[in-house]
Amino acid sequence: MSDAATLSGRVRSRRPRFSPAPLLGVATVLGLLAALEALIRTGLVSPFVVPPPSTVLLAGIDLLWHGNGLEALLATAFELLSAAVLVGLIGLSVGTLLYRVTALRRTYEGWVAALAATPLVLVYPFFLVMFGRSAATIVAVGVVAGLPPMVLRTIEGFAGVRPVLVDVGRALNLRPVRVFWSIEFPAALPVIFSGFRLGLGFALINIVGMEFLINYGGLGQLINEHAELYDLPETYACIALVVVVSAVFVAASEHLERRLRG
Amino acid sequence: MTSPEPSAPVPPLSGDTSAVVGWTAALRVMNVTKRFHTGREIVTAVDDVSFDVREGEFLSVIGPSGCGKSTLFKIIGGLLGGFSGEVRVGGRSIQGPHRDIGMVFQEESTFPWRSVLDNVAFPLEASGMGRAERLDRAAHFVSLVGLKGFERRFPSELSGGMRQRVAIARTLAFNPKILLMDEPFAALDEQTRYLLGDKVLQIQQATKQTTLLITHNIGEAVQLSDRVLVMTYRPGRIKAVVEVDLPRPRSDDVITSDAFARHVAGLWRNLKEEASRGLAESEALVSGGAG
Amino acid sequence: MAQGASLAAVVAVWAAVVNARLFPGDIVPSPAAVAGRIVGLALSADFYGHLRVTAAEIAGGLALAAVAGILLGVAIGARPLLRRAYEPWLHYLAPTPKIVFFPVMLMLFGVGAASKVSLATLGAFFPIVLGTISGVREMDPVLVQVGRGFALSPYRMLTMVYVPAIRAALVNAVRLGFGVAVVVVLLAETKLSSAGIGYLIIDAYRHFDMPLLAALVLVLFGLAILANAGLARLARHGAPAVSR
Repeated sequence: MSDAATLSGRVRSRRPRFSPAPLLGVATVLGLLAALEALIRTGLVSPFVVPPPSTVLLAGIDLLWHGNGLEALLATAFELLSAAVLVGLIGLSVGTLLYRVTALRRTYEGWVAALAATPLVLVYPFFLVMFGRSAATIVAVGVVAGLPPMVLRTIEGFAGVRPVLVDVGRALNLRPVRVFWSIEFPAALPVIFSGFRLGLGFALINIVGMEFLINYGGLGQLINEHAELYDLPETYACIALVVVVSAVFVAASEHLERRLRG
Repeated sequence: MTSPEPSAPVPPLSGDTSAVVGWTAALRVMNVTKRFHTGREIVTAVDDVSFDVREGEFLSVIGPSGCGKSTLFKIIGGLLGGFSGEVRVGGRSIQGPHRDIGMVFQEESTFPWRSVLDNVAFPLEASGMGRAERLDRAAHFVSLVGLKGFERRFPSELSGGMRQRVAIARTLAFNPKILLMDEPFAALDEQTRYLLGDKVLQIQQATKQTTLLITHNIGEAVQLSDRVLVMTYRPGRIKAVVEVDLPRPRSDDVITSDAFARHVAGLWRNLKEEASRGLAESEALVSGGAG
Repeated sequence: MAQGASLAAVVAVWAAVVNARLFPGDIVPSPAAVAGRIVGLALSADFYGHLRVTAAEIAGGLALAAVAGILLGVAIGARPLLRRAYEPWLHYLAPTPKIVFFPVMLMLFGVGAASKVSLATLGAFFPIVLGTISGVREMDPVLVQVGRGFALSPYRMLTMVYVPAIRAALVNAVRLGFGVAVVVVLLAETKLSSAGIGYLIIDAYRHFDMPLLAALVLVLFGLAILANAGLARLARHGAPAVSR
């Protein structure tokens, strides 16, 4: 890399130098798993409390291939998708309304922020009474959990639009509706989207948690059933599957957000 | 649309050089006064300011920071109401933003979610022009400001100077009668400022675009203007009108000429007192706040 | 004033919904019935017993998570190599639903309070360790050099440099951890327990006592808001100085 290029500051991305860090991370995780395996094999840890990681891995593959692992995964994904659509639509409308109507915003923005700090999921017995043990209850809990960040970030996004951008629209004599859709909304979109992503994360956590609690639906139910049958390798495999799904989901939404930000 | 201001004699206004005949006023600012109420205090930002911008002329308003230049900019652009006096375009008093005035803002004002081309096409899109036509027209203005080849880039990929050129092209694409700019180069470094200034100069000379520039930069004002209005520090009044008689067309080496230096020195003598007063008052404010 | 008015508006809408019978049966209880139950809860010694159980489980889990999270967070955050090796893993593990680990905790620690405390520890650990790492990353490196210059022991480095330097970040991290701990403890109590607010809630659901259910949830929300506001104050004004 030439000095001139460095000085001009035009070169944005340079080839990453080799770093041992990611390797160390992977090695540590594999090492911990190997140590656990060794402890169980030598009898220091009872396999009836923690099954050996290799057994868990095989059980996981078996669940996905022959068992109902994939089916459960799809059920959870469908619930998440439904909740995502609702969180997006409701959150955007409520957030926009609170932003536009100053009187409403003054009184209720604090309420939303306060609600975000409460264990909102605990309203789930109400949904159970209303919808019974069904996907509707699970989706409703997901929506309730995902809404506060979406609403708060929507308000924040609109409030953070730089006034000069709105002035550009006003100087062109655009109607307020036009200014909103052509300028304010796209300008606020990155922040709104980050709230959506945050809300989706909360929704996923609570959807799987709810499946576990009411023993219905996808991956959460699978964990519950295997735990009650004391199928330890399958239980751990399902937990690992949930971890993988949520990690993949977080990575995917981060990737999407980076793409959207350009 | 094209009802020219009659060049008939106009009543003499303070700071006005309308005794000259043979020109038409594209924009008239008449006895504009703007007061702000800040708590218990009333600050007069603009005090009885009157001037004309002639058709095809490049006029600069120069003054120290805090002299009410930006307030004046917003009033003329129709973004700020609640003032006394009148702003006339094409003989009619304006209420709110006007189609004939195109504004370029001091702050970064490109839309980060639109490409260079789509940024420039924005006002055309808003006025309902067809896609092919507006992109064609936008491409012309993109190349006019020297950004050919960058049409598909996004503002985040450009330098500050390039972004400001996009903003200027966006305003020019709307074909305003009067180009109104508020310190468009303020955020740029000195060298970029002169180069971009020259770009604007060449465009303005080629198109005879009527332009009103608000600035605090003396060199910039001399480089670009036919006339310079000097404003006083708080309350903002017109203190002097200076003709810049550097020959046109001016090229990019105008800033190295002796005449340029003479004009800069002359303007500085006019401004020095105001700038010092502004500095002293802001320092008094700081020490008052500390004490 | 405005808050009072908005509260009155919400209660009025609530009462109107109940009167109009928008929901079938007795799903949504009337504000009066719920208010009665809230007063009833406030006057019963039994309620405070359950509250103590839940609070102790949350506090225990949070304390363990804070110790582990802050120690590991400083150890990892202070070294760029470790930070790059482990932060991504923690980052991706953090947003998994912790409640699914409940069967594991039940096997390891039994059905009593220990399973809830361990679950709360697991839940609160991630936001605390991640908050600590980012706090250490953003602190002025010159402070560490000053500490090194005085040849401080690792313990003194931690208590005299790192913790006071990133106090605001730590309080915020603990605040996030507190939120997670509250949720997982209460959910675990609704799944399997014989004491705690979560147990009361699921018990009210089983007996279809909707006014009590609503009363419990509202009281719980109120307490969570108060606790959160308290922690937020701590972050704003700085934690009280610890005298040695």
